[in-house]
Amino acid sequence: MLRKSVTQSFGAAISSWTTDHLTDTVVRRSKRMILDTLGVGLLGTSTPVFQTALQYSRKYEAKEKSSIWGRPGLSLPAQYSAFVNGIAVHAMDFDDTWHPATHPSGAVLPALLALAETLPDKPSGLQLLLAFNIGIEVQGRLMRFSNEAQHIPKRFHPPSVVGVMGSTAATSKLLGLSSAQCVEALGIAASYAGAPMANAATQTKPLHIGNATRRGLEASLLALFGLEGNKHILDIDSGFRVFYKDYTPTEIPSGTCGGSFRWVLEDQDVAFKRFPAHLGMHWVAEAAAAVREKLLGEDPNFDFGQVRKVTLRVPKSKYIDCPFPKTEHEARHSFQFNGCSALLDGHVSTDSFTNAQIERKSLKDLLLTTQIENPEDNPSNFDKMYCEVQVQTADGRIQTARCDTFYGHWRNPLKQVDLVRKFNANATTVLSLEVAEDIVSIIDDLENIPDCTVLSSCLQTTDQSARGASVCGA
Amino acid sequence: MLLIIQRSCRCVPTIRRLHVSALEVAERPGPEETVTASFAAFIHGLQPEQLTQKVLQRSKRMALDSIGVGIVGSTTYVFQLVLQHCQSHSMDFDDTWHPATHPSGAVLPALLAISDMLPRNSKPSGMDLLIAFNVGIEIQGRLLRFSNEAQNIPKSRFHPPTVVGPMGSAAACARLLSLDRIQCSHALAIAASLAGAPMANAATQSKPLHIGNASRQGLEAAFLASRGLQASSLMLDSVPGVSGFSAFYEDYAPQPLPSPEEVEPSFLLEEQDMGFKRFPAHLGMHWVADAAASIHKQLVGSHNGNFNPAFIQDILLRIPPSKYINRPFPESEHEARHSFQFNACTALLDGEVTVQSFHPVSLRRPELHTLLSRVRVEHPNDNSANFDLMYAEVLVTLVNGDVLKGRCNTFYGHWRNPLTDNSLQRKFRSNAGAVLSSDKVEGLIEIVDRLEQLEDCSPLLAQLQ
Repeated sequence: MLRKSVTQSFGAAISSWTTDHLTDTVVRRSKRMILDTLGVGLLGTSTPVFQTALQYSRKYEAKEKSSIWGRPGLSLPAQYSAFVNGIAVHAMDFDDTWHPATHPSGAVLPALLALAETLPDKPSGLQLLLAFNIGIEVQGRLMRFSNEAQHIPKRFHPPSVVGVMGSTAATSKLLGLSSAQCVEALGIAASYAGAPMANAATQTKPLHIGNATRRGLEASLLALFGLEGNKHILDIDSGFRVFYKDYTPTEIPSGTCGGSFRWVLEDQDVAFKRFPAHLGMHWVAEAAAAVREKLLGEDPNFDFGQVRKVTLRVPKSKYIDCPFPKTEHEARHSFQFNGCSALLDGHVSTDSFTNAQIERKSLKDLLLTTQIENPEDNPSNFDKMYCEVQVQTADGRIQTARCDTFYGHWRNPLKQVDLVRKFNANATTVLSLEVAEDIVSIIDDLENIPDCTVLSSCLQTTDQSARGASVCGA
Repeated sequence: MLLIIQRSCRCVPTIRRLHVSALEVAERPGPEETVTASFAAFIHGLQPEQLTQKVLQRSKRMALDSIGVGIVGSTTYVFQLVLQHCQSHSMDFDDTWHPATHPSGAVLPALLAISDMLPRNSKPSGMDLLIAFNVGIEIQGRLLRFSNEAQNIPKSRFHPPTVVGPMGSAAACARLLSLDRIQCSHALAIAASLAGAPMANAATQSKPLHIGNASRQGLEAAFLASRGLQASSLMLDSVPGVSGFSAFYEDYAPQPLPSPEEVEPSFLLEEQDMGFKRFPAHLGMHWVADAAASIHKQLVGSHNGNFNPAFIQDILLRIPPSKYINRPFPESEHEARHSFQFNACTALLDGEVTVQSFHPVSLRRPELHTLLSRVRVEHPNDNSANFDLMYAEVLVTLVNGDVLKGRCNTFYGHWRNPLTDNSLQRKFRSNAGAVLSSDKVEGLIEIVDRLEQLEDCSPLLAQLQ
């Protein structure tokens, strides 16, 4: 009759995975993800969307509270802490991206840290790592239930679909829910899933991650208090399946002990971004920068006002095809904008998205010459896509460059030194360098840290409050 | 206003220097012409005088019923688990509309919460509440008419109150908070990112959260918009390649709302009344209960009041096809509220279905189980899963071969056969009286009855506490 077992296999796995199951690769990769997520989150606390969400969330009070990153002394009920910190993580589209496409860490880490602070027995770094990886794993597994998930999305924004499920899995683990309670948590969480793509490329997009992480926590807490949902949520047609056109769920094998179990993260690493924009922009920026090099190589005095035509050969995806972005959010989701910025400047960075940079005449002139082509052999898939940039100058010369795998992609991962450099650059916009370096050390040794909430303390130790010796090393 | 002017000024120089590749930008509709913007204009621009008498009267009945079911819902276990917002739907006792959703429960709690929050000397008037309430209802009704999929008892995808409920709540809250037009648009779009829960949780303890969440999410969306959060300005429009609200439907054809400043608005509530339930179960159960009750009456009548369920050999239910309300042996009160079979057999046994029919003791009655095991189900071709068109037929075969038949086309409480004010008030007294003193109960009836005359809704709020 009904295939009842997938949901229950998830419940069983979440409750029975132990730290013994974590492999070195998975620990190493997930620590990199945690570091990157905290850094982009700290940077994100400077954005208007974060300020708005924080202002709103401050209406709510609770006895137990959790830290707001980058705001010394400010704490909110755990779910609102998760909400605003999650928004900070995705506020600039600077957080990690996986394949199949989603932003896995932002949906999991803020809820975990917020929850950890409210628990009477603080979890260790290793326990945090385990819960984190469970949240990642569940997302990875769910995305593999459909072919639709393999492609750049059109209907529902993936973090809003799988993110809340990952968050509930992770927080269920930290709460020590039973297998049956984990099943209920998954069922409750599914009712929060699914936001339409239309809000991507707007200021509301970061809320997709903020809400995913917050609602997953909420679902776990409700399950802890005895609320029930549909115990077959991952199995039946009217359940999680409604978010996909094709859907074939499979169980997590029971008896996850032993060598037969492989974490998805073991086989499929994440990508870290080098600048805050949609992942697709990274291909086009690298190719455009390479074309710029070629042009300058031929003629060091080349004036980009002499460009007659720019052609971008990219995969077809409406929400990142934006010829004249008017806001920073649109700019982060525009092949044209990122291609032209990289042509002009040699790279794209955090500063490329300021109003002044968006409004540059030289950029706008270049945008007017830019055309998009969608070659048949260029699929909308982060594992298979490429970008080619071709520039034609006024005097008829043509230069072309292609990027198959940008630096930071899982096939060409950021070196640790570059990941740390990104973290420091982000974190020091809010914290002192000393504290930033402390966080790097703590995460580097996370599996041996006895109390993971020391991270939350560090995240609140800004320049003003640090006095000489590092506070969070305590 | 200034924002819109600025935007159109920016477009003009671009249009003049158009390169072929940039033509698409010029063809994008201006902000005034989109469906999304027309909704925002409606929310913002509607005037109190534009509410007709019929709409006022119907919406006050809805408000009364919702408060009552909410109060009785506060006695349930699921309510004790979660926040107050979930009261309305915890027993599936709240109103139902066509196309199918539970409109009031998604809107009223948020409005009352805002009213509570506002300082004592700036409470909304009763009319403010009524307008905001009707905005929330109308928006839901309009959205449901954008697809054919919405017309039928939901099959396998999203539970309608979770799709249109947050939108209605956001609209109503935006109105009560006096957001400007742009903010109203953003409130709707922010709410859309919170919409949509799968049907699978209907008939579970989580279903009430769907209404509670719809209400609070709409409230949150309105608050965030009031603080300047921006979202897609095309959320309700159909944009190929990027789904907005269309993500929730297979077929989606949106229409703009005429501006209330130009055209006298016509409210859906004027043409299409609300259904109120007589007992706390899915709407479909009311047809089958009425049909079975008529057979109970026949049985009792012909046996001088001595009706023994053992007389019954076979029960045939001829009902529309709908998986989530077809449950031969429900195992919980939530499942029982979503079971044609359970409600038919209860009405056969008792002559009616009531709040008590779903108590654990009633659920476990052996004579009920005996009847349940004798039920067969048929889905006649002419019986569609549509609250406006469906019927229920019950055929009971007795051990002596006699066949008794009952049919219900329109149950009492359906919009085609609305509950009288007396019946509605009786339901309210029974519900609210379970928790409030009879003074407060009568006070509420009286206050809601003259809601549009209240200059300050504080008396209403006071009675609810």
